[in-house]
Amino acid sequence: MTVDPRALAELLEESQDLQADAVRPTHAALDELVELRHSSGADDVAANHAFHEEHQRGLRASFTGATLLGAAGGMALVGVLASAAGASSSKDIQVLQTAASIENLAVATYKTALTLPYIGGATANGVVTKFATVTMGQHVQHADAFNSAITSLGGKTQAKPDPAFVPVVNKAVNGLAGVTAAAGALGVVGLALELENIAAETYVKDTTLVSSTSNKALFASIMGIEAQHVAVLLAVQALLKAGAPQLISLTEPATVEALPTVAGSVGFPNAFYQTSSAAPANQGAVK
Amino acid sequence: MSTRNRKTTFAGTEGELNAMTQELDEFHHDTGMSSLWAGVSNMIDGMRGAEVATRPTSRRTFLMGAGAAVAGGATLLAVGSTPGLAAAATRAESRLHRADAAAFPPAGYKGDLAVAAVAASLENLAVYAYNAGLTAATAGKLGTVPAAVATFATTAKSQHTQHAAAWNAVLKSNGKRAITETNPTLTPTIQAAFAKVTDVTGLAQLALMLEMAAAATYQAETSQLKSKAAIGLSASIEPVEMQHIAILYYVMGMYPGSQTTAGSPIAFSSTSAAA
Repeated sequence: MTVDPRALAELLEESQDLQADAVRPTHAALDELVELRHSSGADDVAANHAFHEEHQRGLRASFTGATLLGAAGGMALVGVLASAAGASSSKDIQVLQTAASIENLAVATYKTALTLPYIGGATANGVVTKFATVTMGQHVQHADAFNSAITSLGGKTQAKPDPAFVPVVNKAVNGLAGVTAAAGALGVVGLALELENIAAETYVKDTTLVSSTSNKALFASIMGIEAQHVAVLLAVQALLKAGAPQLISLTEPATVEALPTVAGSVGFPNAFYQTSSAAPANQGAVK
Repeated sequence: MSTRNRKTTFAGTEGELNAMTQELDEFHHDTGMSSLWAGVSNMIDGMRGAEVATRPTSRRTFLMGAGAAVAGGATLLAVGSTPGLAAAATRAESRLHRADAAAFPPAGYKGDLAVAAVAASLENLAVYAYNAGLTAATAGKLGTVPAAVATFATTAKSQHTQHAAAWNAVLKSNGKRAITETNPTLTPTIQAAFAKVTDVTGLAQLALMLEMAAAATYQAETSQLKSKAAIGLSASIEPVEMQHIAILYYVMGMYPGSQTTAGSPIAFSSTSAAA
């Protein structure tokens, strides 16, 4: 194979331009956040407290609705979270801290998954391994972006995973011990799917909760990426359940022609993205 | 003071709300379009106590607006039902004459309503394109069409129809006519692309172009819209367009996620393709 250095350089430059364009909303958002912080003066303590109280009610309600939390016997966690969540930070900071905590949990989950032979090992499906690796890296970038926004607003960065979901993820991972590779892969995909959907739904909802235009732009630049993760995981899950892991491949066109009909639509089941599984806005807030 | 900044709330009692919810459910069962009604219902819920564009909104006007919008979509599909892509492009030209880019959005569509008009026109264009593509595929003009690709096109077209109906419901509820035109700015580009499509891969690339424009537009508008309900609607659609993009990449044998032209996945979606 021969490589044209000039063509390669042009491609690299184009790639960098596109990447710069892609992260521009984030940088613009951070710049605006700094300006907002400088011009807004002291936080409205009463408003922040009211936001905290409102979302504590939402937190309690979520324990009866979310699949993951329900599996964890979530009511026992309410007291812990109530003391962990901060009522003094601004609404936007609390929302951003929760988002960062979800990203941190996703990173930890993919990192653990990649240690499993059927996800990150030599016997794993190459597409699944690449997806898990790339997706973990994207969640790292998302966490960094949320924490940068928090710092710009004068808040405390969130380095920990979402406290409500950690026990559930741990339980799910422990449950993978001793299972077959096929069952294990399906379990990991199911867990990742639920986390990704919670992230996507949370950020869709957050666009209506945060007050800053720049924060709306930040969430809008990430929510679709998480939704894409959901779409891919739904397709992978369907193929695993159908006993056709060999079709999880990017060797078009032979594979595409062999895909079952449902593979064309299973990745986007709803015309409008729902928010019923969104995490309470201050669930991952730092005290 | 601008009328679009006037604060309004749902002008009815809780009982009326419940009754309208039941009416909504019945309408939903009648039409079988659960996702559309769920989305519109959520939007109406979001407008309770929130800032809306021009005047008080009831669930009934939303329901009627949504129904009319669906009818408008059907009309558009009839126009777009052509035997082949070349014919589809010709028909698209006729639509372009009706929607002059310089005069779009129409006069009187300001602020969030102008955004709603642009969004509806983009969705119409997507419906039109998918419909033309499916028609050409059925006529055997694209060679062998994998079943998964046909399902993708059919499902995506249905969802874009629902998106257009939701935006037109917003317009109708604010006293504006529904937008049945395709987006005048992008229509010539899609026409030109249509003329070159000879197989499924080409059609997928065209769909990708449309989906990227729609997703980028919603992403950009989510932070620019004023009404909380409009923000919520825009934010609820952008991720679905992004999912279309991911699956399109997958069926094209490429990494299934937003990426650079060189194929490198990106962690933050771009607004560069916004209409």
